[in-house]
Amino acid sequence: MKTTVKISAVALLLQIAAGLPLSAGNGEKETPKGYLKGSFETNTTWYHKDDRTNATVPEEHWGSNNYLKLDYYRGKFSAGMQLEAYEPVLVGYPVELDKIGLTNLYAAWQDENFGITAGSFYDQFGSGLLFRSWEDRALGLNNALFGARFTYQYKDIVSFKAIWGVPRFGMEYTDTQVKGADLSVAVSNLFNWTDVYLALEGSALDKYESLSVDLEESGAKSNNFGWSGRLNLEASGFFFKGEYVDAGNKYYNNPFIQTSADPAYLIKKGNAQLVELGYNGHGLGLNVTARRLEWMDSKILADNTSTSNMLNYVPAMCTQYTYLLTTLHPYTSRTGDLSGRFVNSGEIGGQVDVFYNFRRGTALGGKRGTKLHANFSTYYTLAHEGSAKAGNLLYRDVSVDVEKQWTRKFKMTLLWSMQAYSPSYGANASLYLSNIAVADLLYKFTSKFSTRLELQYLTTKEDKKDWMAALLELNFAPNWSIYGSDMINHGDTGTHYYNVGVSYARSRTRFSLGYGRYKAGYICSGGVCRPIPAYTGANFTVTTSF
Amino acid sequence: MKTILISLLFGLTAISAMAQMPSVVLEDHKGEAFNTADLLDEKTPMIISFWSTICKPCIRELDAINDVLPDWLDEAEFRVVAVSTDDSRFTTKARSLAEGHGWYDFINLYDTNQEFMRAMSVSVTPQVYVLDGNGKIVYSHTGYTPGSEEELIEVIKGL
Repeated sequence: MKTTVKISAVALLLQIAAGLPLSAGNGEKETPKGYLKGSFETNTTWYHKDDRTNATVPEEHWGSNNYLKLDYYRGKFSAGMQLEAYEPVLVGYPVELDKIGLTNLYAAWQDENFGITAGSFYDQFGSGLLFRSWEDRALGLNNALFGARFTYQYKDIVSFKAIWGVPRFGMEYTDTQVKGADLSVAVSNLFNWTDVYLALEGSALDKYESLSVDLEESGAKSNNFGWSGRLNLEASGFFFKGEYVDAGNKYYNNPFIQTSADPAYLIKKGNAQLVELGYNGHGLGLNVTARRLEWMDSKILADNTSTSNMLNYVPAMCTQYTYLLTTLHPYTSRTGDLSGRFVNSGEIGGQVDVFYNFRRGTALGGKRGTKLHANFSTYYTLAHEGSAKAGNLLYRDVSVDVEKQWTRKFKMTLLWSMQAYSPSYGANASLYLSNIAVADLLYKFTSKFSTRLELQYLTTKEDKKDWMAALLELNFAPNWSIYGSDMINHGDTGTHYYNVGVSYARSRTRFSLGYGRYKAGYICSGGVCRPIPAYTGANFTVTTSF
Repeated sequence: MKTILISLLFGLTAISAMAQMPSVVLEDHKGEAFNTADLLDEKTPMIISFWSTICKPCIRELDAINDVLPDWLDEAEFRVVAVSTDDSRFTTKARSLAEGHGWYDFINLYDTNQEFMRAMSVSVTPQVYVLDGNGKIVYSHTGYTPGSEEELIEVIKGL
């Protein structure tokens, strides 16, 4: 009900604002015409029973997620909306996505050095550790704020933004209120330094939420304040980024309650440190990330465990794979565990990434060049609360991939990855270790017809033992693509996870139809994952934009 | 409701033939603010490709364009803008990848909270556009199949 009132208020504002450019343009000879952009997406699946995998089948056998987005631009003015329909929501998506709703609506004015938005908007401060609102349809996440935003840019020196709004959760905007400001000063531009780029940045965020009696009795406050400080430096290809975040107080259910005098919640101080440095130049891209997180789970609603209940962005900082067997056990960052007797206040670790381009004509580059990429990522629990000492290993990955165009027609990519992960999320020292090899071979028969073959093997002594997989794709450029794949757990269950599909793309529209069996696991996007149950069925997607 | 939506959709497609590139502020290769309006110079056409470090076909497409770019530039004058849609966690990785893949002749931009992506109504990558010198979208294609990049140069030559 409340949302409807807010949306009508913006609709009114939108009408008023839309009228402005019209009257302003009356005196001019040529009134610039506005234009409309939009997109539509449907992701629809028909599910059926599959005893082999104990597949989930919803009551109606159907799931369908649909999005219609429209934006109108006229000079400095823009306005838009998004309509979403879950009829019903696909299996594994957050259940609060339900039925049809006009979920996002905004009007905005973008002038040369300032901008105003009223209605729904997305934004982030720094890396997003303190605050991020964004949309990720693969995750079923949309935590847009509904309110107002003001941005100001002074030359190329100062960027400022102030936000106020209520975050979206599911189909509704919540009663939680978020206020914040972010300032960035490009010091190097202020003093006209030409060889160095240096920016100092800072953010502040206040969240207001009316609390339950239990939370209040545990000493929680309705207002929660957090801040962050950042430094960005770049000189001749070298870069350094540092960020410190104080995320304010976080409330966790107290697992140690023995008497009624014990508080229902424990109060923890959220904080994070992030450093990124590296060098890009001469065909070499090198970057190192180090990050420590402690109690960094920022929720929109205090007592809700949905995967879409988040107000900040704490992604897994490691390689995100796309090949089937490399994604069986993706890593998700640990923002603090407090359950049973197991206490882990967060995570510490880092990664190193190296990209190198062996140029044409060199010994390793050959006639057409060779591209090399290697990554090392390692993450641990925190040994003690408040410390930066590493505890048990959570995840480690070493990977190398080489990409080589042998002839005009043949391109080969080889990947090897050694992954170790803790099935107990660091509660004990036991690990599952697996080695994965992938060959990805692309052959162009003609300028329009090509095939791509993936061969993959995973070997491990633990869990479900060895796996293998193959994928064959036939491409008829520029419109058609057909594929078939199979993934077999031959080391243990012998289950085949087969998949076939076809896609057709023309201009701004793409249709795809697939059928297959999917294992229970995780869908990850942007380093954030959501669990999905096993399912078998046919999937139809259409995306179009204009 | 569904019928209304469908007719609305088709109606809107018809009137939006003049779609242009909205002005959005994102980051350049150094991390400095970059306004997409600065891409327009009223004469040079451009290819805009939306990609991310986890989108293999996107990288394949940009590599394919990069490989033939010297030949294409003999045939027509244009620019290639590669817009990384990676979140903040992978912006540095995206910069390193662009370097390690030798994309020196592209204008590399970083859309860390997907504002430009939303403004251009991109919902899946790979998504590629050809814009004429005035910023009007004259061609677009969703998805990549090896060889489909040939259409881009044909469109540019026809401008």
